Amino acid sequence: MNEDVHSLLGPYAVGALDDAEREAFERHLDACADCREDVASFGEVTASLAEAEAVAPPVELRARVMDAAARTPQLPPIVGDLPDAGEAGPRLAPLGRQGHPSALDSQPDASVTPLSRPVRGMADETSDAVDPNQESRPREHARARRSRSLLVAAASVLALAAVGLGWGLSQDDPGDSLAMEREVMMIASAPDAHSMDLDLGSTHIVVSDRMEAFAVMGTSTPMPDKGMEYQLWLVMEDGTKVAGPTFMPGDDGEVMTMMHVDLAGAMAIGVTIEPEGGSAAPTSEVIAEVAL
Amino acid sequence: MAERHLRAVRGGDEPSRTAARPEDGASRSARLDALLSLTARGDARAFEDLYDAVSASVLGLALRVVRDRDMAEDIAQEVLVEVWRRASRFDRSQGTARSWILTIAHRRAVDRVRSEQAHSERLRQHGAQHEVDPDRPDHVVDTMHREWESARVRAGLAHLTERQREAIELTFYQGRTHREMAQLLGIPLGTAKARVRDGLIKLRDAWEVES
Repeated sequence: MNEDVHSLLGPYAVGALDDAEREAFERHLDACADCREDVASFGEVTASLAEAEAVAPPVELRARVMDAAARTPQLPPIVGDLPDAGEAGPRLAPLGRQGHPSALDSQPDASVTPLSRPVRGMADETSDAVDPNQESRPREHARARRSRSLLVAAASVLALAAVGLGWGLSQDDPGDSLAMEREVMMIASAPDAHSMDLDLGSTHIVVSDRMEAFAVMGTSTPMPDKGMEYQLWLVMEDGTKVAGPTFMPGDDGEVMTMMHVDLAGAMAIGVTIEPEGGSAAPTSEVIAEVAL
Repeated sequence: MAERHLRAVRGGDEPSRTAARPEDGASRSARLDALLSLTARGDARAFEDLYDAVSASVLGLALRVVRDRDMAEDIAQEVLVEVWRRASRFDRSQGTARSWILTIAHRRAVDRVRSEQAHSERLRQHGAQHEVDPDRPDHVVDTMHREWESARVRAGLAHLTERQREAIELTFYQGRTHREMAQLLGIPLGTAKARVRDGLIKLRDAWEVES
């Protein structure tokens, strides 16, 4: 059986498997480092074949894509994931589902209320959508900062510790973990940050309305069952749940993740355990929750 | 939940936004990796640069597979928006950004082909059309890279046996499954699988030796 699955490597690399075979092969990939390596190198081969076919797109296509992207929320990052976690690449992306090949909105999670890091004015020629100065915003409120609670100060220290211990180990891309560290520090040190206990090991949620974000950090978080991850949800006043990032404890049980989201209209932040890669809507009971 | 704000996170590793000189394959690939990482953090300008770098390949691949200009443009649009949407799920440890994006494009195009009318019908209706859009002169760098890549691919394909070339053509370019390929050629499934794999290995080896 295993040998048989192994032989699907070539057809998989050129997209010549049906759905069932592809799923079988992707399960095999999780366990076969040799095949993963071949898939990556064959991916370069087929990419070269594709690039040789390049055709200049019409000018309007660019505007159409930018316009559509501006209205399309991005999926939240999968935080602290394992090398083979969920939707790491096309390999496990639900793109190959037959029957709805055309529509983005056939994706299971495309209809969810906007997620973290939504876009504003992306197609705007003035290009003010990306404002690096926003990052320095909390520093402009030094006066307010002095009044922040000891609890938050403690949380900041915890954040530093967690970054040092957990993050560097679990992320391949040091740029990403640095970015995460900065983001979490920004939230924890925001003038209006407040911390709440989350019943998931020794975990806190630090919320900042001003930063439009919250961070989760802690220690002693139990490892979920194999193939499962924690996922954050923003519980809205009307009862809907906005999908947040998934996260996994590090080896020592440290967790750290964050989500940029407008907290207006949100009444709670909850955690569920979901299959790797996360879900568009919760598939299990909330195991921990804090009211906002 | 109306207005939300984009907040881009930047490291010190920002890729150059304008390439003033021709790039080799490796540095182009690294630039795409960096642009996709920035896109994953909500950087709209990085996404625009990424669009400029990959849209021609995405469209050309879709066109080669579906053989219909309008359909190919629809696919290209869907794929590129999907790249924006799913950028955070890109995992460099599984492969390059260039491969990730073009795999999404290929899968989407093949899905469309399989769910639409039969190949023969499509070919009868449209033939193999592959015209270049006259509206937009190519960026010089892109054109140089494309010509280089085309020549490289032609040279690589010349290493294949006729049967291996046919295997790649039927599966990768025409979107047939390996079962359909075996049936069409009247060969055992194992032979079909092996021809595809051997063809890929030969191309990989040819391009590795060259670089």
